[in-house]
Amino acid sequence: METEVVKSNKNFFSWFRAKWTDVPLFSIGIAFLIMVILQTLVLGFDYDSVGSWFQSWLNNWINILRNNAGIGIIALGMTLVIMTGGIDLAVGSTLVMTGAFAMILLDTGTRGILGILGMTGFPAFVVTIILVVLAGYLLGSLIGLSITKGKVPPFIVTLGAMMIFRSVTQHFMQGYNPKVPMEFLQIASFKIGNYMIMPIIYWAIITYILYFVSKRTTFGRQIIAVGSNERAAKLSGVNVEKVKLRVYALMGLLVSIAALIQVSRIGSMDFSNAGRGMEMDAIAAAVVGGTSMMGGRGFIMGTVFGMLIIAVMNNLLNLFGVPPFLREAFKGIIVIGAVLLQRKEKAS
Amino acid sequence: MLIEMKNIRKSFGSNNVLKDVSFTLSGGEICALLGENGAGKSTLMNILGGVHQMDDGTIALDGNQVQFSTPAQSQEAGIAFIHQELNLINDLPIYENMFLGRELITKRGSLDLERMIRETEDVFQQMNVNLNPKTMVHDLDASYKQIVEICRAMMMKASIIIMDEPTTSLTDQEIERVFTMMRTLKDNNVGIIFISHKLNEVLQVCEKFIVLRDGQLVEEGMVSEVTTDDLARFMVGYDVRTEPLLREKRVGSEVLRVEGLTYKHTFRNIDFSIREGEILGVTGLLGDGRSELFQVIFGAEKMSSGKIFLNGKEVILKSTTQAINHGIAYLPRNRKENGIIKDMNIFENASIVTWPKFSKRGVIQTQQHEANFEKQRQALRIKMGKLTDSINSLSGGNQQKVVLAKWLSAGPKLLILDNPTQGVDVGAKEDIYDIILQLAEENIAVVVLSSEGQEIIRICDRALVMYHGVIQGEVAGEEMNLQNIMSLATGGQLTR
Repeated sequence: METEVVKSNKNFFSWFRAKWTDVPLFSIGIAFLIMVILQTLVLGFDYDSVGSWFQSWLNNWINILRNNAGIGIIALGMTLVIMTGGIDLAVGSTLVMTGAFAMILLDTGTRGILGILGMTGFPAFVVTIILVVLAGYLLGSLIGLSITKGKVPPFIVTLGAMMIFRSVTQHFMQGYNPKVPMEFLQIASFKIGNYMIMPIIYWAIITYILYFVSKRTTFGRQIIAVGSNERAAKLSGVNVEKVKLRVYALMGLLVSIAALIQVSRIGSMDFSNAGRGMEMDAIAAAVVGGTSMMGGRGFIMGTVFGMLIIAVMNNLLNLFGVPPFLREAFKGIIVIGAVLLQRKEKAS
Repeated sequence: MLIEMKNIRKSFGSNNVLKDVSFTLSGGEICALLGENGAGKSTLMNILGGVHQMDDGTIALDGNQVQFSTPAQSQEAGIAFIHQELNLINDLPIYENMFLGRELITKRGSLDLERMIRETEDVFQQMNVNLNPKTMVHDLDASYKQIVEICRAMMMKASIIIMDEPTTSLTDQEIERVFTMMRTLKDNNVGIIFISHKLNEVLQVCEKFIVLRDGQLVEEGMVSEVTTDDLARFMVGYDVRTEPLLREKRVGSEVLRVEGLTYKHTFRNIDFSIREGEILGVTGLLGDGRSELFQVIFGAEKMSSGKIFLNGKEVILKSTTQAINHGIAYLPRNRKENGIIKDMNIFENASIVTWPKFSKRGVIQTQQHEANFEKQRQALRIKMGKLTDSINSLSGGNQQKVVLAKWLSAGPKLLILDNPTQGVDVGAKEDIYDIILQLAEENIAVVVLSSEGQEIIRICDRALVMYHGVIQGEVAGEEMNLQNIMSLATGGQLTR
């Protein structure tokens, strides 16, 4: 009897080990689960007042998700970029630039572009969204073109773009403080049954779309091919340059959506600080989610969990009262630890 | 030095790779280690080289029992393992590679460049190699990298050298140089274990042979007493054909014609054409420009000048995608670098070319695609597990068939095969030849690029022989023999 128990334990262990190394979402999911259980415990589960406990649990979660929606969307794009073997350091600056563009268009003051053109209200919002998304797409394409046609490494191109975009934005927005119409804020703050969850919905929709794109479309699969073996992909008829160009353009587009969410949440933007360090957070989420920096391997859902693990941990540290300066260190531990745990056994 | 391996067993998981293999080699002997892919050759050698540990058995050097738990220990005992994937650092010069890990240092602690260069030169001189030690390794072609590795083993005073398919990417001239080197080593009482799929070479250079099949030693003996046919039979366990595969030839209209094709300094003024149902061989020595020529025709590189006609109409191919749309398929050489994508599973590797074809508005239609692959899998007799298994789980031959399958599912009119049997064992090689003949039967124009004259003679209707970027001559029928091919490939003329 006892030997059998031991055997089944061993089986469970080897099953667990195999799953852990072979199914990336398995390890990430478990890590996430542990985080959530910890968080639930910290919030103090109480049988007597389940209702109010659940209320505060839910509120806490909505807060976490909403606060991370923008960076979460950017992390998804970053995952695709890294899967091609590239990187985009310019996301924070692109966010500021497209955000500033949105605010200039919407400004209710004398310099608001759409206002000057006599466009206000709903039509102005629609035009703004279209133009801003287009601008993000163009900025991304510009980066993509420098990488594919100019043959400059992505790290260099986006490092340069990071400096250029922010600096230009700061210069032109000097002493100009556009006012975003209150109605525009509804885009992010519209309440569904008392909950402000619009950003979460946008994030969920985009996650679903990108998940589908990465799994089921020619473009999505070609991203993996390009990242894993560019030469072989080219010799298999994959238009490598087009795939890369489209990935960076998509990245720009996603950043502009994040910018719109941010502008409509707060109604303003700090052009010198907004989005700073965002590229690193996005990369961290992707890496925790199992994306390989070498390209060829990455998971959209993994990145969502990666983002959430980091977010829940921040929340926990907050609840525990860990000094703010130390929190970044925990983030660093999580990033390195996640990669250590996901490391495959040396193939024999 | 005498090396004895006795009753070696090794399994990976439930897979028994070596089942009780014993083998001996003494200094001054060249022994061929033969077997199909997956027969256990590499595992046996990896055990000797300290890469893997055996489960059971003994290794003795000159009668003293030894155990190697790391490659370094094995090296220290005088065993040098020259791997198929060469262990050279591309971004360092030759001499630093020669001393990698045991660099010479001056009294002041800096690298002693002069001495390293001088000692490298000494070895080169001894081995009759004409190379400048200061050359960067990335400027060497595959053959010279091999030679540098052999010199490194010599410098480390190895008494046993294991060579894992050293001649795969070498030209005949360079192979001869390697063989000369091996004979010099032999005279210096060095024992050599020579792993190769090229049986002719085994007859040329080895004295002893052992054959592994399914992890067991099935034959051993003296090379002088056997023929290549015998060796091939030992390896696969049944008779293997080597005669030219004759077939009824029915050629149709012209598929491809090129005129005056030139690409940088690689090749110039290439004119030829190929018809439906024809098998055209293109051969020559390494660096003759044939791979580049067909990469240009496939749109992977941009030509400098010239014209390409498909079905009589001139086309300008700017990308591989366009070439595929025109019905051209190109199976590249060096499967690992150019053919397979290691992060994708078998099915994806087999379908990447046809994703655009089998998709609706960018969404891949998996079912249709799987049905298509299933057909290919049966036709090509691919041995595999699940569709979603890693491509790395397949043997070399089956990987090559998967790469072939991805092209066949595109329904090409012109199929270019660059070294299609590279790193493929005897059995799978025959399968691939059969497939090529079958495709020609189906009116596809097939181009076979190969440096093995024997292969060209076996399956091609006619062959172009290239030399330094030009077509030196064309052979067909009776004229298509090894002698003529070799003479053209080395810049000579046909002797009529």
